[in-house]
Amino acid sequence: MNTAALTSRRRAALQQRAVGEFDPWLLWAALGLLMFGLVMVYSASIAMAEGSKFTGHQSSYFLVRHAIFVAIGLVTGVVAFQVPLRFWQQLAPWAFVVGVVLLLVVLIPHVGRSVNGAQRWLPLGPINLQPSELMKLFAVLYAADYTARKLDDMGSFRRGFLPMAAVIISVGFLLLREPDFGAFVVIAAIAFGILFLGGINARIFALLAVVAVVGFVLLIWLSPYRRERILGFMDPWQDAFGKGYQLSHALIAFGRGEWFGVGLGASVEKLFYLPEAHTDFLLAVIAEELGFVGVAVVVFMFALIVQRAFAIGRQALMVDRVFPGLVAQGIGIWIGVQSFINMGVNMGLLPTKGLTLPLMSFGGSGIVANCVALAVLARIDYENRALMRGQQV
Amino acid sequence: MKFSNSPLLSERLPAWRPRLVQGLLLAAFATLAGRSLYLQGIQNDFLQKKGESRYERTIEISATRGRIVDRHGDVLAISTPVKSIWAIPEDAKLSPHQARELAQVLEMDVRELNAKLSSSRDFVFVRRQVAPDVAERVAALKLPGIHDQKEYRRFYPTGDVMAHVLGFTGVEDVGQEGVELALEDSLAGKPGSRRVIKDRRGQIVEDVESIRSPQEGKDVTLALDSKIQYLAYTHLKQAIQENKAKAGGIVVLDAKTGEVLALVNWPTYNPNNRVRLAGAQLRNRAFTDTFEPGSTLKPFTAALALEKGSYRFDTQVQTAPGKLTIGTATISDAHAHGLLTVAQVIQKSSNVGISKIALSFPADELWKMYNGLGFGTPLKLGFPGEVGGRLRPAKSWRPIEQATMSYGHGISVTLIQLARAYQVFARDGDLIPLSLTRVDTPPMVGKPAFSAQTAREVRAMLEMAVSPGGTAPKAQVPGYRVAGKTGTSHKLEGGAYADKYVSSFVGFAPVSDPRLIIAVMVDEPGGPRHFGGDVAAPVFSQVMGGSLRTLGVPPDAPLRPLQVAAAPAREEM
Repeated sequence: MNTAALTSRRRAALQQRAVGEFDPWLLWAALGLLMFGLVMVYSASIAMAEGSKFTGHQSSYFLVRHAIFVAIGLVTGVVAFQVPLRFWQQLAPWAFVVGVVLLLVVLIPHVGRSVNGAQRWLPLGPINLQPSELMKLFAVLYAADYTARKLDDMGSFRRGFLPMAAVIISVGFLLLREPDFGAFVVIAAIAFGILFLGGINARIFALLAVVAVVGFVLLIWLSPYRRERILGFMDPWQDAFGKGYQLSHALIAFGRGEWFGVGLGASVEKLFYLPEAHTDFLLAVIAEELGFVGVAVVVFMFALIVQRAFAIGRQALMVDRVFPGLVAQGIGIWIGVQSFINMGVNMGLLPTKGLTLPLMSFGGSGIVANCVALAVLARIDYENRALMRGQQV
Repeated sequence: MKFSNSPLLSERLPAWRPRLVQGLLLAAFATLAGRSLYLQGIQNDFLQKKGESRYERTIEISATRGRIVDRHGDVLAISTPVKSIWAIPEDAKLSPHQARELAQVLEMDVRELNAKLSSSRDFVFVRRQVAPDVAERVAALKLPGIHDQKEYRRFYPTGDVMAHVLGFTGVEDVGQEGVELALEDSLAGKPGSRRVIKDRRGQIVEDVESIRSPQEGKDVTLALDSKIQYLAYTHLKQAIQENKAKAGGIVVLDAKTGEVLALVNWPTYNPNNRVRLAGAQLRNRAFTDTFEPGSTLKPFTAALALEKGSYRFDTQVQTAPGKLTIGTATISDAHAHGLLTVAQVIQKSSNVGISKIALSFPADELWKMYNGLGFGTPLKLGFPGEVGGRLRPAKSWRPIEQATMSYGHGISVTLIQLARAYQVFARDGDLIPLSLTRVDTPPMVGKPAFSAQTAREVRAMLEMAVSPGGTAPKAQVPGYRVAGKTGTSHKLEGGAYADKYVSSFVGFAPVSDPRLIIAVMVDEPGGPRHFGGDVAAPVFSQVMGGSLRTLGVPPDAPLRPLQVAAAPAREEM
């Protein structure tokens, strides 16, 4: 072993330590939100769980389940992290097909489980699988793979845009049959966002944007159930005990929280006033108990994750890794759009939809899908760093 | 190398697009932070007010009603905590099984329960005032929309013995009858209130502030003596049953203080269970029902005569031939007595004798005396439905009425008025106000009606009336000198005297220093005897004897077997 080789190896080792193998910001933001979510799910659900016959009056009913989901999510995440991106790319079309099949299965009467009029769950023994949550991950992988494969056709409406649009409309049709409008919005945002990042013709995209807006407006207007939610959002105080009930209570929670909140555990809104306090309206409980500070921390951490996702994506694209780059940014869009919609709904900026807060809200499929997504993101980062160190991936 | 990894392609992925998307998302997050700032830092007051209107409630903290105790502190009425079960019909969607369970625990009809729960109101009482253990069992069912609240229920340990004195409270804990109503102001506390936050199921989760703390009701100490009341109750009830009477009443007064020591009416009721309550049971007859007192008024006319100086104790009055015709009407004695002294007129209860005395002075004098004794005016002790009786103005009296008025016909009084008027003989001619509550500093001298001399002389006449030669030897009490007067009157029905009687006896003892006044009235005795001396006097004797011994009043007569003449003086009507 000569001196030069020794020096270069020592330099590489030093470089490796300096660059590291993970993105610490991403890691801590994700873990932080998971743990924060665990605490807040417990706080938000404690009274409801205790007062419900369905939970057997156990106050820790949701905490225990959520902790198990988080543990499963972390384990799944660690496993997912071991999977190289090229394998994910090979898996992408098949995963998407599996996702579509699951969306079909959930619609079969007596197979899919219906809660509050929405047939979104597949009962699998002790747990319920929510295919639409997995579909978000599969959509990221599929759209990235599709775009990476068809980079040459991105300028073409027929070959680049239309096939993807057809797929998304089909998936959207299935999702709206459940109905799960929120998941449809997120998946459409992911798919067309990735297409846009993949360089699709700007005019096509502008057309798409117009069609999408008109489409959503029509969808909303044609369904009385969705229209009511919209009307409730426009002025929650006009019919505060009817259509605006949920939102008005969420807003009251924000108002009560002020700067530093009424204190962890001291929310009044969660005492049966605010429906879905531990799922869709978790942020309202955070706002009431921990105030503006608590909300700002949550917003900041999501912004951080989105920022890291795009940065990692850019790094991947810089080294010409198109699929990983688009997957990373697709995950950024997913987490960003879903968390924005959820928080926007909580604050009355957007009409009420059934969307959970990623990484935080109660719900097994969502937590596991989010964990896998962030593990994939970390893997892309890991591979980027390895490449920068001159290693093969 | 894969096609997609070609370096040529990287130029096709425009770098501005991710920056735009990322920028839009970060701008969206900035909007969220701004919106949160607005809601929590600026609109917070408005939102909090909206919140308050939804879950802040002002709740009343009930004050405990004061207890009613007798003069020795024995509890006669006490408020015990109970629960009322109420429901929000909208929330209370019970399965048929749950409804059956609830109805069973509450011991009510399922249909009645379902009718209440299907009400369109926001709040219904399902069942009020159930025992705490029943409420616990209801709570254990954990039914949606079914709640309970703490209330107080009045409990009367003495039951029907004290019913008319105490009265009762309604379901809202407000006095409805008797002392409960008369002394409502003292007994009722002032409820406090506080502001609380309630969860959606109505549970209080936070105490915001106390607006007003509750003021507990004051305990009321009655003049009533439980032992005497019980004696009065027992003996009246017995007499009414033995004589097959319709109703009756007895009043025991303390001659020294004006305190009402006992007051019983028959029929009575159990104030703890008023489910099937008839009006007749409810009537506090001693205060609300008037009757023509009959001969019990004779001593007052005699006293007036002595007071005027026109007659003396031993002035003789000719009562022969036992008849006196005034205009078209004739007053008669059942027994012709001949020449009688004033004292004997009272002792033998001669209608003719007392009429002659009454006619010897102007009608106005008689009216003034009766009015001064309180007849015709309610006593105003605070009982509901208290009446004053009938005492028509003297100007409208015909001569015959002036005569009958002297032996208690054509005038009506309540039993409590009659008992109180006898104060003038039991005391030295003066009247003191009656009191339902214990009197610690009794008035030494009251409003004078007669001179002490007159009072003492009439007292002596009344003692004679109870002696073996009088009309009521059965009123005698072993060991004590007793004075009193019988009364027996026909009842007025539809303006005419019917063949129904009211038998009464009013008296006091011990004569040497009168302590107790007892008035007994028996309405429509249905047995073979109907004279006051036979029906009412024994009750007086038993109650008086027991009461004096209870109070430890020293005997003023040698203890010897009572002398009841084989044929006592025939009583007049």
